[in-house]
Amino acid sequence: MTSLLRKVAWWLRRRRKEDQLLEELQFHLDEETEERRAAGLTEEQARRAARRDLGSVPRVLEETRPLWTWSALEQLAQDSRYAARMLWKAPVFTIVVSLSLALGIGASTGLFSFVDALLLRSLPIHEPERLVQIRVVPVLPGGLKKPMETFERRVFDDVRGRSDVFAAAVGFWPVDRPLITIDGAPEPDREVQFISANFFRDLGVAPILGRPPEAADDDVAIVSARWWRSRFGGDGSVLGRSLDVNGRLFSIIGVAPPRFHGFRVEYSADLWLVSNSQPIALGLIARLAPGVTATQASGAMDGYFRQHLLPRFKGAEQIETEALPAGRGLSNLRDQYRPALLALLALVLVVLLTTCSNVGNLLMLRNAVRARELAVRAALGAGRHRLAMQCLVESTFLAAIGCALGLAFARWGVSVVAGMLPLPAVPDSLTFYTDARTVGFAIVVSLIAALLFGLAPAWRATDVDLAGSLRTSQSGTQPRRARRMGRALVACQVAFCVVLLVAAGLFGRTLRNLSQVDIGYSTDRLLQVSIDTRIAGYQKGQVGPAVRLLLDRVSAIPGVRSVTSLRNAVMRHSGTSVAVNLPGLQRRGDEMWEGAHVGPSFFETMGIDLVRGRTFNAQDFASDRPAYVINEAFARHYFPGEDPVAREIGIVGIVEDVRFHGVREEIVPFMYQKLPTEPDRVNTLLVRVESDARAVVPQIREAVLGVHPRLFTGIRSLGEDIDRDIVLERMVALISGFFSGLGLLLASIGIFGVASYTIALRTRELAIRLALGAGRWSVVRESLRDTMVVFGLGLAAGTAAAVAVVRIGASLVADLLFGLTATDAANITGAAAVMVAVAAAACVLPAHRVTTVDPLVGIREP
Amino acid sequence: MARTDASRVELLRGTLDLLILRTLLPGPSHGHAIARHIQRTSEDLLQVETGSLYPALYRLEARGWVAASWARSDKGKRARYYRITAQGRRQLITERSKWDAFARAMGLLLKPLDGEGR
Repeated sequence: MTSLLRKVAWWLRRRRKEDQLLEELQFHLDEETEERRAAGLTEEQARRAARRDLGSVPRVLEETRPLWTWSALEQLAQDSRYAARMLWKAPVFTIVVSLSLALGIGASTGLFSFVDALLLRSLPIHEPERLVQIRVVPVLPGGLKKPMETFERRVFDDVRGRSDVFAAAVGFWPVDRPLITIDGAPEPDREVQFISANFFRDLGVAPILGRPPEAADDDVAIVSARWWRSRFGGDGSVLGRSLDVNGRLFSIIGVAPPRFHGFRVEYSADLWLVSNSQPIALGLIARLAPGVTATQASGAMDGYFRQHLLPRFKGAEQIETEALPAGRGLSNLRDQYRPALLALLALVLVVLLTTCSNVGNLLMLRNAVRARELAVRAALGAGRHRLAMQCLVESTFLAAIGCALGLAFARWGVSVVAGMLPLPAVPDSLTFYTDARTVGFAIVVSLIAALLFGLAPAWRATDVDLAGSLRTSQSGTQPRRARRMGRALVACQVAFCVVLLVAAGLFGRTLRNLSQVDIGYSTDRLLQVSIDTRIAGYQKGQVGPAVRLLLDRVSAIPGVRSVTSLRNAVMRHSGTSVAVNLPGLQRRGDEMWEGAHVGPSFFETMGIDLVRGRTFNAQDFASDRPAYVINEAFARHYFPGEDPVAREIGIVGIVEDVRFHGVREEIVPFMYQKLPTEPDRVNTLLVRVESDARAVVPQIREAVLGVHPRLFTGIRSLGEDIDRDIVLERMVALISGFFSGLGLLLASIGIFGVASYTIALRTRELAIRLALGAGRWSVVRESLRDTMVVFGLGLAAGTAAAVAVVRIGASLVADLLFGLTATDAANITGAAAVMVAVAAAACVLPAHRVTTVDPLVGIREP
Repeated sequence: MARTDASRVELLRGTLDLLILRTLLPGPSHGHAIARHIQRTSEDLLQVETGSLYPALYRLEARGWVAASWARSDKGKRARYYRITAQGRRQLITERSKWDAFARAMGLLLKPLDGEGR
């Protein structure tokens, strides 16, 4: 305690303390001189001997000072001032390094924000960890599981009633591509969900404006904060306005808090609707009652669901109830995205390492320029530790600038990537927020980077050869070891870059392969109209006439070539499993195959060519006699070597193989069944139009709404559906391409640096060679030899690393690739070739300098 | 004159504090005199470097083991005189017993073997 008091007292009088010490040392010096003079030395000799004996006064000061200073802090302040001054004095260096760092840090932070949104962050809801999604999974024959995620209102009410298990339960139902109009003007696509009236209240999500819906509310709407700002001016006048969704009016009563976009991670809702009559079915989110675990909850509900739902699933023997954590949102893609995100995280780490080696090398070069200054400071008594510390402070400063710029870059980069994805509305997960999480991440990354790129150069630079550095007139040469380290760093950049190129090649070619997949029919001018006969309230017996009326009206629209109906949508992975027993068809056990229920003129509309027999005709649709159309794969697999049509077992025709549910789908045995005369539901119309699809879209919408105001749920071209189907691949390809571009930029800066530096050092020698008659080209070759060695080593190391990485990671990324394997040799060769080309380009300027050296001038250079 | 460098003994870490405290036991003294006294008393075996003497003096002062004040030297110059405090005396006693134990232990361990070096 007393020592602390003394310390404060001394600190307050630190100036006087220092004077005191100086005076004391002067006294010591005087005494010493006196003594020596008494021993017989001359005045001058005595003074000099005493001086030598005393040693370095600054050093004594330096060592004693900590007693009255908070030295670490004060040194830091001093170093900071010094670092700021030094960076200010070398603006080009500072800018290049900060930009470099900004790219690396920004890339990592941008990716982090996405990973965070998709995998880590909890939704802005009260106690998100207590929320579960209820799913029921019927176990079908053959172990097939098709989870059921939506339930009718009665089930929802029953689940809400189980207060012993759940504290609350809320329901939501996404509306597929609704038509929204505000004051008569149509709105661009928005993600819209019907919700149960208690949704906001029971989730603990309080509107920032207005009020949450109440049980008594009908036809009311809540809008998201971002839509409120962008569309409604962000002020109170939004309350009470009404909007038209698929022909029904809703009045806005509240604005959801920022960053709340419902439970579906990939589809950020901007509009929530409460209506007494809708929806028919609800996704279920429940809050566990205190003390109840998710396992207990699913166990408790098991009996209920078995009793009520098991009879619904034809052929299902068992039914499993699941209560899955919902606090981080629901995502069908999470499992699919995880390997992609992990792969991108690995890549961004490589980008960061490239940045660090690039910056490390630049620092090393700069410290070489400053060798003399450092030597002077060392000679004046600065310890190595202190000098290294100073270099690290400078690195931290650079990292801080890089961090700030990096955040801006991340924001920009994320919006660019999001904008390049074919999504109608940007999901919230692809929006960069400058919040505590991203800023914290950026700071941590920057500090790690500062240590990575700063430590080695600091240590090298402060390994000062005092006498040598002070004596030499040249200030630009580096000690040999430092130069070697700089080259090693450039080789590292090249190696990292090759790895990035290999990855970008894999994902880029995957995307190209996917977009070139022959799906078997033309998606040109093919529109997919989503309708919902259940929401419209049609019972069995009403669906058939309604659909027939609809087909008539749509086909009457000018510009529509043909139209068909089918039960489930195309290209949305909404597969149906079918199984029929036909004589002569060998089914193995409970085996089922893919299939679809299609209406009249389906094959003509889709443009699927007939191979044998015929497609469904009017008689087929009029009668109950079974008729099937199979694809070639089906015929090959189940009727090898024979003609199933000729057997007259109900198979009326064979059509060519197409990809029906998704671009990446394998060609599998596929069976088309005709829609029954009186179907229980129909979800899709397919419309092939003559020319401009956009002109026809509103008319089709009008026609559907004309049949029933609630029948229409959306319209989209099949091309859009396919784009959505490969959105993940597109994103991965985009980001990895972006990363490899960064890598190339950094590596070429590095190569350029090495080439220019070695040539600058050897200008004189090269001039002499030229003067002695050496050919220009041989001199260029000679001058670039060092650079080539560095580059060659990096290329070899990078290729080897890439080969190793793809070997190890092959199984991890296998699902992300299409049409090639990770170990694809051509891809690796291609990456190496790109690297060579870019390196050659980076050498052009330095090489050009060599050829322009004037021997007479060059020789005179120091 | 001082002995040659080769015969000098490197001062062990931490022993300088002990030596200073002991030197100040008879009465106050200034830095230069302390250095001289240590050098002479050790028959020139130990030479205290200024670079470490003054930081050590300030450190002792900071710990409260010595107190310092300015006074005139015998030649009439202003000098900073150090005086051992009661706390310093106690410290000296503990340090000295520790040192004695250490020296005894070292002596026992390094005792020449019979016949060694003959």
